[in-house]
Amino acid sequence: MAEATAKKKERVHLKPKMHNSTVRPTRADKVFQIVVDVFMVLMLIIILIPLWSTVTLSFRPNTYIGTYLEGMFLAPWDWSFDAYKALLGNNGFLMAFTNSLKILVGGVFCALILTIPLAYVMSVKSLPGRKILTTIVLIPYVFDVGMIPAYLLVQNIGLMDHLAAVFLPGAISTYNVIIMRQFFDGIPAELKESARIDGCSEVQILMRIVMPLSKAIVMTIGLYYGVSFWNNFFNAMLYIQDSNLNPLPILLRNILMAAGMNEYVEVSAFGNAPIEAIKAASVFMSAIPMVIAYPFIQKYFTKGTMVGAVKG
Amino acid sequence: MKRLLSLLLVALMACTVVFAAGGSEKTTAVNADGTVTINLWYGAAITEAGPIPDDWVGYDILREEHGIDLHLSVLPSNESDQDVRIQAAAAGNSLPDLFMVSRPVLTRLVDQGLVAPVDDYYALMPNRTAQQYDADSIAMSTIDGHSYGFASPGSVAKNEGLLIRKDWLDNLGLEVPTNLDELMEVMIAFTYDDPDGNGKDDTYGYGAYIESDATLKGYPGARLFPILGAFGVDGLWCLEEENLGLNVYKPEFYDAMVYIRQMCEEGVMDPNWLTYKKDDFRAAWKQGRFGIMKEQNAAYAAEANYAPFDANFPDGEWIIVDPPKGPEGLASVGAYDQNYRIYAMSQDAVDAGKAEKICELLEWMSSDEGYFLCGWGQEGVNYVLDENGVPVAGDLGDNAFSGTQGQVYTQLRNMVFYNSDTELASRYPTYTTATSGKTMSALTALREMQSKYWTAAIGSGQMPTPNADVQRYYEQSLAEFLSGQRALTPENWQAFLDQFNAIGGADWNAQGVAYAQENGLVR
Repeated sequence: MAEATAKKKERVHLKPKMHNSTVRPTRADKVFQIVVDVFMVLMLIIILIPLWSTVTLSFRPNTYIGTYLEGMFLAPWDWSFDAYKALLGNNGFLMAFTNSLKILVGGVFCALILTIPLAYVMSVKSLPGRKILTTIVLIPYVFDVGMIPAYLLVQNIGLMDHLAAVFLPGAISTYNVIIMRQFFDGIPAELKESARIDGCSEVQILMRIVMPLSKAIVMTIGLYYGVSFWNNFFNAMLYIQDSNLNPLPILLRNILMAAGMNEYVEVSAFGNAPIEAIKAASVFMSAIPMVIAYPFIQKYFTKGTMVGAVKG
Repeated sequence: MKRLLSLLLVALMACTVVFAAGGSEKTTAVNADGTVTINLWYGAAITEAGPIPDDWVGYDILREEHGIDLHLSVLPSNESDQDVRIQAAAAGNSLPDLFMVSRPVLTRLVDQGLVAPVDDYYALMPNRTAQQYDADSIAMSTIDGHSYGFASPGSVAKNEGLLIRKDWLDNLGLEVPTNLDELMEVMIAFTYDDPDGNGKDDTYGYGAYIESDATLKGYPGARLFPILGAFGVDGLWCLEEENLGLNVYKPEFYDAMVYIRQMCEEGVMDPNWLTYKKDDFRAAWKQGRFGIMKEQNAAYAAEANYAPFDANFPDGEWIIVDPPKGPEGLASVGAYDQNYRIYAMSQDAVDAGKAEKICELLEWMSSDEGYFLCGWGQEGVNYVLDENGVPVAGDLGDNAFSGTQGQVYTQLRNMVFYNSDTELASRYPTYTTATSGKTMSALTALREMQSKYWTAAIGSGQMPTPNADVQRYYEQSLAEFLSGQRALTPENWQAFLDQFNAIGGADWNAQGVAYAQENGLVR
């Protein structure tokens, strides 16, 4: 009995301290934990302040008199929804929002359709010329093609004034391809081998074996692409000349510019709502799709971003 | 392996050449239906509103009566973004027929032979030329002796003024200051004698923020122009023949700095002035924080801008006053420039035989029909004429030219407006304030501001700018003197100037002097 107790104690002793719930934290552990907690709370506050500032600014009424700081503590019953009403009632905003949604959906779809097969092919170790393919994929990552050649290409393949011009030039990101390839590398080769033995083609292996195991990376890379397409201002500015096709970042930029010259332009597109509130409301509303999407993707996101972090 | 890689790279390069070699598709001068297509890239009047709708009546008028098939595209709202887009289109040899362009980019396009000289085309637009293109405007688009664009007047010049709280003066029994000494006395009284009578020490004499640039305003910027003007050093550059060069070299600039420093030391300057942004500054005067400021006419008196002040201080009253005189009797509200919007014709458009149609389009825009249609929309739909013939919104609601639905029909108005009395009367209507019931008009304010003495600095906007290090050193040093971080003494001032010259200030000055002389900017 005594021997068994001694062995049990020894086993407990051998367990890693951090994972042993029976070991009471030392004073140093407690202090460390408190410091970490305080640090995290501070970080949270630092992140929340600009967010809260934007939110409260967007609800600020036209009659508000006070400093910026005081405005952050404006009572909710003093809030005004004029900025949101003006934005949602503005045809330009709705049109830009719709265009951005089309770019987001179309862009993510195209990007994944192009990125997944490329990453998979690059992960097939038996592929002839795999290193050359990798080199070719890496070249544009190292040497940016530049604005003018890209413009000429988009122009000459007839993409000007198409929403696809906003996302197609960036539909394959080398960085994302490499991350995805790393993930595919981590899938046990035996699974693919057994599928091949069962007569699966490479496409079938990709679709039936690899993809079901790759939800995390697909969601993560999809989020990366989605954020970049949603925020893409430059391509839209360059390639979209038809104003009816302008996406949200272009409109946001215009609103910001209008805010700078509203004393000259006495008539703004948003009626009597304060332009600063309009600016904040448009920033907030433009972030909403990402804010909504993130919680659904979060469980995959952590796993996806850990790819390649530990080399086995 | 290396051979294969080389082959692949060659193939990739070949593909790039093939894709890039096509060039833009050129439009022929006359379409099958007899119209001429004109592609116009313009600067929208209300950048955040949508584009002109496809059902705009102007399209039909131009097509049916002038044989013009007009295609419009809005340029980005920011000038640097506009430059990027124009230059990318130029690189792709796909410039539109007519487009708005900044002068620096226009200069580059002229060098590349991508825009056409327009000297001969003014005569084709007699009405428009009389309205919009005078000698100054043509000089703005002239490069190497030829005019390469049509330069229309931009924003209204001399639209700012020195304002003072009359109710505070009355409360303290003070007169409007006429010189710097009196100004200092009033500022001290405004700061320490509780001019608003609220029993709190919460007011200051003068309010400002740093509104500077590297062409016209300089540092400490336009909000202090009335002070700098009293010493004859308002504006970054002095374009007078006898004192041509940067104002900072003039001894009077040091004197002006001493006066501003004194304002800070006396505590009469709102202490936040070095950190205020424009919006903070504007929120501050609406909160009654200071009693003297330089402000723009509409920012002060337009209905939406004045409303918060009116609600907060129904008995408050700002008046526009003459700028104070300095030791030598000089006075100025500030230095002013005249800006223009340049529309250039591409060489391709001229080669395709479209020049005359473009002139016809512009002349139509300046006809009564085009002017009102582009400026305010359709009569009865987007505007009605008041008893003075001024377009007003009337009871047209959202469809009015100022309404959310109607304003998109006025996106081309910057191409037709030239700051006429009709435009200004329409733009700045007289109104009654909601709380105090005062009768206000930003136009009356504008006219009064324009009647004060200003320093002409026409062409400052074109002057060469310094490199970032020189500008940073210049601005930072002046800020240190004004904030007291560095003692403002003649020795320290001379040391600053020496160092400024050494790091590139002297070169900047020499370049500016040469540019002003070469381009006829010297008065």
